[in-house]
Amino acid sequence: MDQDIKDLEHAHSFWYADWSFPLIVGIMSAGVFAGTSMYYNYGVGAFNEVAIVAMLKAGMTGGSYGAAAAFGASFLFARILEGSLVGILDLGGSILTGVGIGIPAILLSMGIEAPVKNFPLALLTGLVIGLIIGAIIYAVRHFTLGQSKATFGADVMMGAGNDTGRFLGPLIILSAVTASIPIGIGATAGAAIFYAWKKPIAGGAIIGAMILGFFFPVKL
Amino acid sequence: MHFVVILIESIIIGGLVGFAAGIGAARMFNAPTVQALGAFRTLGEMNAAQGDPASHFSFGLGFFFNAWASTVGAGAFTQDVTHRVIPNWSAAILLIKNKNLAETMHNPKKMGIMSALIGVVVVTFLNVTSSSIPASLQVTAVKVLVPAATVLINMVMPIIFWLAAIDAGRRSGLFGTVFGGMAALIMGNAVPGVVLGILIGKGVEEIGWTRITRIMLAAVILLFVLSAFFRSFDIQLLKEFGMRAPQWLQSWHNAIGG
Repeated sequence: MDQDIKDLEHAHSFWYADWSFPLIVGIMSAGVFAGTSMYYNYGVGAFNEVAIVAMLKAGMTGGSYGAAAAFGASFLFARILEGSLVGILDLGGSILTGVGIGIPAILLSMGIEAPVKNFPLALLTGLVIGLIIGAIIYAVRHFTLGQSKATFGADVMMGAGNDTGRFLGPLIILSAVTASIPIGIGATAGAAIFYAWKKPIAGGAIIGAMILGFFFPVKL
Repeated sequence: MHFVVILIESIIIGGLVGFAAGIGAARMFNAPTVQALGAFRTLGEMNAAQGDPASHFSFGLGFFFNAWASTVGAGAFTQDVTHRVIPNWSAAILLIKNKNLAETMHNPKKMGIMSALIGVVVVTFLNVTSSSIPASLQVTAVKVLVPAATVLINMVMPIIFWLAAIDAGRRSGLFGTVFGGMAALIMGNAVPGVVLGILIGKGVEEIGWTRITRIMLAAVILLFVLSAFFRSFDIQLLKEFGMRAPQWLQSWHNAIGG
């Protein structure tokens, strides 16, 4: 009850209102897009998983941007639909993957480099894209709200998304084993220690592999 | 010069992303009344920490190390920086001073400002430290992470999503399978197709063939057609079936540069 009163009081303030949502998405997108710009220029700072950034990297190193573009754009599309229907826009799929990877890949595949290369321009591009996404969600929300109680399988996708993360730990160990014996041992030990500490084992596997890899370097 | 540029850009990026992540996360506790930006896993995990500052902090710390390793290795922060590290750390700091959740973790204003500060520190730290590490570490990371990531994205993720679609019901299984196969062919990865399949399958199951689900289906088909065209999938398809692409189609491609 207190919560309801509070929501009503704040319904028109920036922090709670629907009208400010596009602005929040815009600020987030500006930062994330600029992060991709930094990755493009300096090789650090992309706000995404290694696997997804690797798709963008494939394009940057002379391959095709097709995978990154199609993957990112489709995720963005799916998440915009879902976000306006369930009330929570999935940050990972829409902004980090869609705006951070998909849209830069589309621009780069068309040979438009400036918005990705130039930092201030990247901030501006991200902001505009985010404002548009936020506005679409605002519109869809007002158009469909109250018409349907469907979740559109959000729970199914969330479950699958979380399961994916669990696979990364064992995969990293399997991959470390093929790099070299010391690195494989390091990854296994690191993962075991992290597991005993109740931490995600992927982190332990990476750190273990890095420590042994530092003392017993391998060639690329 | 290089170092200074990374430092300045990191501060700007960290502030923007942190601010939006904090507001978005706090608004989740007020959804669906308020449209939020975040993730269901973030919401669940922040509730699981039960407002205990130490739990929030250590939870964020575990993912912070993971993110650090990934940034050092491949320049990629992982999604955990915005999903887990920033929201949990700013909740931890706010909760030290005041244990009332409604006034701290659920308050978009306080979370936004605190998260902006945390974002600046975290992003700057990750970028500055990882741009100055020994080459042998980077080689190790690339050798270990890239193959693992490739298998994850091309095989594991599609299969997990696919099985989830099949388990979720006959409609999502059917749409997921058709769109998944099409996406693998056209886009090079099945995941987006399976996600769209679940979206439409579950949508139809829950509310039937209404205007919303029909528009969605049409939009998805349009997405596939456009993707196919821009990746020259149509030309390749005709070629592999032993046919020549008609002149008008070829000239369309030439005109658009696809």
